[in-house]
Amino acid sequence: MDFKELDPILHSQLRLAVISLLIGVKEAEFTFIREKTNATAGNLSVQINKLKEVGYIEVIKQFKDNYPQTICKITSKGISAFESYVTALQSYLPK
Amino acid sequence: MNEENFSPQQSLQVIQSMISKTRQNFHDNSKYFLLWGWLATIAISGQFVLKVIFHYEKFFQVWFILFIGIALSNYWMIKDGKKEKVKTYVGESMSNLWLGMAISFFVLSMLFVKMGWYYCYPFFIMMYGLGTFVSGKILQFTPFVIGGILAWVLSIVSAWFDFDYQMLFAVAALLISYIIPAHLLRLHQQNQKSAYGR
Repeated sequence: MDFKELDPILHSQLRLAVISLLIGVKEAEFTFIREKTNATAGNLSVQINKLKEVGYIEVIKQFKDNYPQTICKITSKGISAFESYVTALQSYLPK
Repeated sequence: MNEENFSPQQSLQVIQSMISKTRQNFHDNSKYFLLWGWLATIAISGQFVLKVIFHYEKFFQVWFILFIGIALSNYWMIKDGKKEKVKTYVGESMSNLWLGMAISFFVLSMLFVKMGWYYCYPFFIMMYGLGTFVSGKILQFTPFVIGGILAWVLSIVSAWFDFDYQMLFAVAALLISYIIPAHLLRLHQQNQKSAYGR
């Protein structure tokens, strides 16, 4: 059987969780992602930065009602990477 | 989350679980349908009573009741916007659809000011049908789709009646395409919320 290589950026539980959340929505606040993934703020920040560095997500920092707000959005590069990851994943799963 | 021994099966579980979590993010769409459905029903019924029963000349004044809808909708939108932590494509599509509908109702009203109001209701009923049919497709909620189709049927039939009776067709269309499906949607959303414990 031919196993395809899994993207190391996405083959991490928290980063994959973030991308899987963002694939279904237009954009999400950092607090929403933290709530859904049950991750700590520190760890989530690190993983979000990694996803941002490779261009899989866009991070917008702004103020809403005088409070800082971080919004995350998947990019087209992120969508392609997620699709390739899922295709590669299929080669590992029993048919 | 544990990063060790992360298998392809676990990858799949993470993907499935996260996608289902975004699906549980409900918006209470029903309150807007209920507000506008009831206000328009009250306005048209009031207009019918004032015009047909009391022969009151300024029967159209009853439409000022819609200002309550504008004020309350804006208040809700601002309040909900502050709480909103995620923007979904469904939410965006609904907002854009109803913004377009509101503008179209305004444009139609301006056209009727010029052309006369005698046949306004078949057009308004057709618009109710369009809004609820597309909303039903976006929300994947069949009662709105059925309500929209029935409103289109009522729109055609109403054109064969006089203005006074067209008002009754409009009330029927609002009941079938807005109010009844919106109550069903509210029930559906409440059931889903309690099922997910939210």
